[in-house]
Amino acid sequence: MNRLLYGILFLLIMSPFAVASDTDEAEKLIKSKLEEMFAVLQKTDQTEEERNSRVIEIIEPAFDFERMAKLTLGRKHWPGLAKEKKKQFTDLFVKRLKESYLGKLNLYTNERIVYKPPIQVKTRVHVPTELISKDNVIDILYKLYKTKDKKWLIYDLEIQGVSIIKTYKTQFDQVLRSGTIDDLLAKLENPEK
Amino acid sequence: MTHQVNKMLTHIRILLAVLTCIALFISSGYAEETVDTGETFTAAENQEDTDIDLDDEFDEFDDEFEDTDDDGVFDPLIGYNRFMTGVNDKMYYWLLKPVARCYGFIIPGSVRRSISRCYKNLIFPIRFVNNLLQLKFKQTATESARFTINSTIGILGLFDPAKTWGGIDPCQEDFGQTLGHYGLGGGFHVVLPVLGPSNLRDMAGLAPDYYLNPVHYIGANDLGLIAIDAGEKINYISLHIDEYESLQKDAIDFYLFMRDAYEQNRRMKIKE
Repeated sequence: MNRLLYGILFLLIMSPFAVASDTDEAEKLIKSKLEEMFAVLQKTDQTEEERNSRVIEIIEPAFDFERMAKLTLGRKHWPGLAKEKKKQFTDLFVKRLKESYLGKLNLYTNERIVYKPPIQVKTRVHVPTELISKDNVIDILYKLYKTKDKKWLIYDLEIQGVSIIKTYKTQFDQVLRSGTIDDLLAKLENPEK
Repeated sequence: MTHQVNKMLTHIRILLAVLTCIALFISSGYAEETVDTGETFTAAENQEDTDIDLDDEFDEFDDEFEDTDDDGVFDPLIGYNRFMTGVNDKMYYWLLKPVARCYGFIIPGSVRRSISRCYKNLIFPIRFVNNLLQLKFKQTATESARFTINSTIGILGLFDPAKTWGGIDPCQEDFGQTLGHYGLGGGFHVVLPVLGPSNLRDMAGLAPDYYLNPVHYIGANDLGLIAIDAGEKINYISLHIDEYESLQKDAIDFYLFMRDAYEQNRRMKIKE
């Protein structure tokens, strides 16, 4: 009887400490993902393709690509789209985002990451980091939100203060103002034109 | 028997007391959280409970990116700006990049990095004065310390011991940022020949920064000064080769991308 009582007591006392705060959880996710990714980047016994597929495997679960696609079209353009166009756009946009992310990997070598204290913004969390190379410091801000099943996902990145969502949004808006969704899809498919 | 009952009662009393403490602890914690993050926090929490349609939730996110519907950047010169972006692009591919490649092929990277550090050290007065004008005394002191250390131990700025040994980072400031710090908006966006994206405010900052740049006082004639600025630009490009190309590949509309990136980046720098 006594044991049971003390057991319950112990659990009750400890439980408040077991609940991590939002900022901690979000920061933990970013830290673990970046550590995994840097471990892959430092491997020398792999082709570029192998490296890329490994990196995608690591980062993919941390991003909410669908939401990012939605946000870049915004309230103005997204709701009016037919279902299959939404899907087509999302697929092309996500493909492009990944390609541009992987393209950046070739530019950098031997970086170090410094984490700054995460910031709670309403219900979301911003995790500021610095990517430090030989004589360059690049600010990268990861913006995360909490899904209904209590998972943290990235919905935007700010590199040197430049938001990925914002810059794409302006460009997409411009295309959609003078053209149709098919024009935009075509441009996403063939970036050279 | 009574003894045991008594003992049980004491345990239950202790348990109740602890439970009350925990309840108080938790409720105070929640109260703090709600106060900290304001009304939106509780509103969002309620939304989650009622499990509403995704598209409504989307509105909450969209607000964050609302200010980009073109009223974020004032751009009456868009025609000229697009044209100048094209000119600068040709200049980069036909002139600057090939020259920078040759130069980078001949001069080793370590030397080029030293030249870049030396130049940055030399233009210390720009950072010093602009930090001071914004009354950022701590940063002004930091910059002075960096200049002193790097000019002496760092051999005229060729090395950066202040950062590599002392961990003292530079505090980049220019006159455009000073004007922005005191509330001046960017005005309209302008793409300058060679220099690239700028706006009315930052253009106004070019002249003061030009006169604060000691390089322009070394007594060389105009041609010599242009040569120095051009040399610095080539040196910079040689150290950042392929970065421009990488940005260009990501863009759907390169001019709009460069414009937005420039304005957002400046806004962040001013806020810092």
